[in-house]
Amino acid sequence: MQSSVARRKHPFRRFFLLILPLIAILTFLLFPYYWTLVTSLTPRQELYSANTVYWPAHPTLDAYGKLFGQFNFLLPMRNSFVVALTTTVLSLTVSTLAAYSFSRFRYRGRKFFMVLFLTNNMFPTVLLLIPLFTIMRQLNILYTPMSLVLSYTTFTIPFSVWLLNGYLNDFPMSLEEAALVDGANRAQAFMRIIFPVLVPCLLATGAYIFMQSWNEYTFAVLFTNDRNRTVPVALKNLIGQLGVQWEMLTSGGIITVIPVCVMFFFAQKKLVAGLTSGAVKG
Amino acid sequence: MKKLLGILVAVVMLLTMIPFALAQDVTIDYWFWADNDGYAATMQEMIADFNATNGKGITVVGSQVPWDGGGYSNTVFTAAMGGGGPDVATWKLTATPAFVANDLLAPLDGYLENWADYEQIEESLWEVMRQVGGGEKVYVMPWNTQVLYVYYRPSMFEAAGIGVPETYEEFLDACAKLTKDGVYGFGMRGATGGQEPWGSFIHARGGTFEDLTTPQAVQGMNDFIDLFKNGFTPPTAPSDGFSQIIDNFKSGLTAMTVHHIGSSAGMVETFGEDVGAFVFPAGEGQWTSMGDTENVMFASCENKEAAFEWLAYLAAGKGQETWCKVTGNVPVAARVKEMEEFQNNPFMKVSIAGAPYAGILPILDTTTEWISGVWPATVQQALLGDITAEECMEILQTELHK
Repeated sequence: MQSSVARRKHPFRRFFLLILPLIAILTFLLFPYYWTLVTSLTPRQELYSANTVYWPAHPTLDAYGKLFGQFNFLLPMRNSFVVALTTTVLSLTVSTLAAYSFSRFRYRGRKFFMVLFLTNNMFPTVLLLIPLFTIMRQLNILYTPMSLVLSYTTFTIPFSVWLLNGYLNDFPMSLEEAALVDGANRAQAFMRIIFPVLVPCLLATGAYIFMQSWNEYTFAVLFTNDRNRTVPVALKNLIGQLGVQWEMLTSGGIITVIPVCVMFFFAQKKLVAGLTSGAVKG
Repeated sequence: MKKLLGILVAVVMLLTMIPFALAQDVTIDYWFWADNDGYAATMQEMIADFNATNGKGITVVGSQVPWDGGGYSNTVFTAAMGGGGPDVATWKLTATPAFVANDLLAPLDGYLENWADYEQIEESLWEVMRQVGGGEKVYVMPWNTQVLYVYYRPSMFEAAGIGVPETYEEFLDACAKLTKDGVYGFGMRGATGGQEPWGSFIHARGGTFEDLTTPQAVQGMNDFIDLFKNGFTPPTAPSDGFSQIIDNFKSGLTAMTVHHIGSSAGMVETFGEDVGAFVFPAGEGQWTSMGDTENVMFASCENKEAAFEWLAYLAAGKGQETWCKVTGNVPVAARVKEMEEFQNNPFMKVSIAGAPYAGILPILDTTTEWISGVWPATVQQALLGDITAEECMEILQTELHK
């Protein structure tokens, strides 16, 4: 009651302190996406006009048609999905088991391995390019999606292990111990007790891995060829030495963002729960 | 007798089949960059044509690699150092020293000696190829060149009451007179790649790349700075790269800008007849930059003779003709240059007129870093008034010739 009176007393305060900054921040965040969308819908003649227009006079979907027709954008999209999904599943499986081991067991070398995993991420990517290229070539998996999956896991697994280790440390041991007392073995205790509680954390970690694999360029340009190029490489081909195909580049950008947005839309609730778990001890 | 004749016919048939049996099919991996998806499609058509017509069982497999603002050379380098990479690749001269120093390229001299079309390409161009390879061997096969010139809008010149500049002073004067009504006289490139048009200013005052600290070279730098300071270029000039200068010109924000024939198709598409070109005018000296695109064969290539067939197809064969017709680049083979289609192209005419003054930066170990890092960072400081023209040229000289 008191707060509603206060709100009525200062009608402008809420506007200036909350709504206006919110609008400003949202405009700042969303304007690049809006501009990308507008560019993708603008015919080439209008794109190079001297006047800045915030909506094209003759919007067209030609760029999207060309992207999926002549440019065959479905192929890189399919390749990116295969690579990102495989990397996510593989990384999550390995990271979850490794994190469970680090969190629940005390053994010699545990800390050493944990630090080793952390230092892996400190290596600049470019330093690992040539050695990884040589390894992929000798394994005979160069120019296959598997070369990208293996490369990405070298970066996503260490980080995911640390992330999941943090989540697991927050789960009380007594939950598992109760299951063990009731006759479950380790695997059953993990699958029936830990795993269901861990799902939001796995979603958060999975989203991180998926986005890393979906957007990666440096390895993708080197380890793929025309048959298995991923989205970032395909889009980069639209930026030539002598020109940029803005309308196709931006339409490709819009299409690329859609799967990630859809994924986040459905996973949003659990994702937030996963990201904030472990933030408050108690 | 009939039996003997039968055996004889069978033997003759077998003998005629031997050459076919001996000619093993070989595959050549080719990496290239393309400036748009249309050019990429053209390249794949050329590859299909070569595969169908070479008659030697050679199959070229082309992979498009992003230009990535010049990162293309790094991608190829990493692959080659990792023991893989292509057999043949599209090339930029500036990348050559690093690859030659690591023995990654195959010398072409042995193949060129017996190549019937060797003289189709000017000896001066072969000399440039020899120079970048260290002076003795040719590692790089010419493909096409681009001579930089000045694009201008005839309608804007008419409105300003001026004609096409014939001297350097007239050019500077035109930059001032064309600046009005929200239009800037000159589209300056202050970001990476800007050293090419900038070189014309230095040489127009009598300077050279050998000594950038001479009074003439410093005066050229002062002219460059003055264009920006006096507001004859867009205020974004210090950070404008290729895309910005072309987009600014196409949108009518600038009246002149410097680039080569590779942009002409897009210019004509935008302006129709209201776009023209002239050679960067002479002052005390005259120079313009020669852009280049070549092809190289890698030392790791297992079928070098087959790879050379593909290089030859691109340098003087059907590939030369098709690529230059589609992209508008200047051909290197005399036979193609003489074709009516090239002789009647006004932008090609200006390119050919500028060719005698066209050159490249000295290809030194420092050149790549100088182009990508030193030049833009130093010139940006000079344009923004953080350092003087003299200090700027001192740094550029030291870093290029260290």
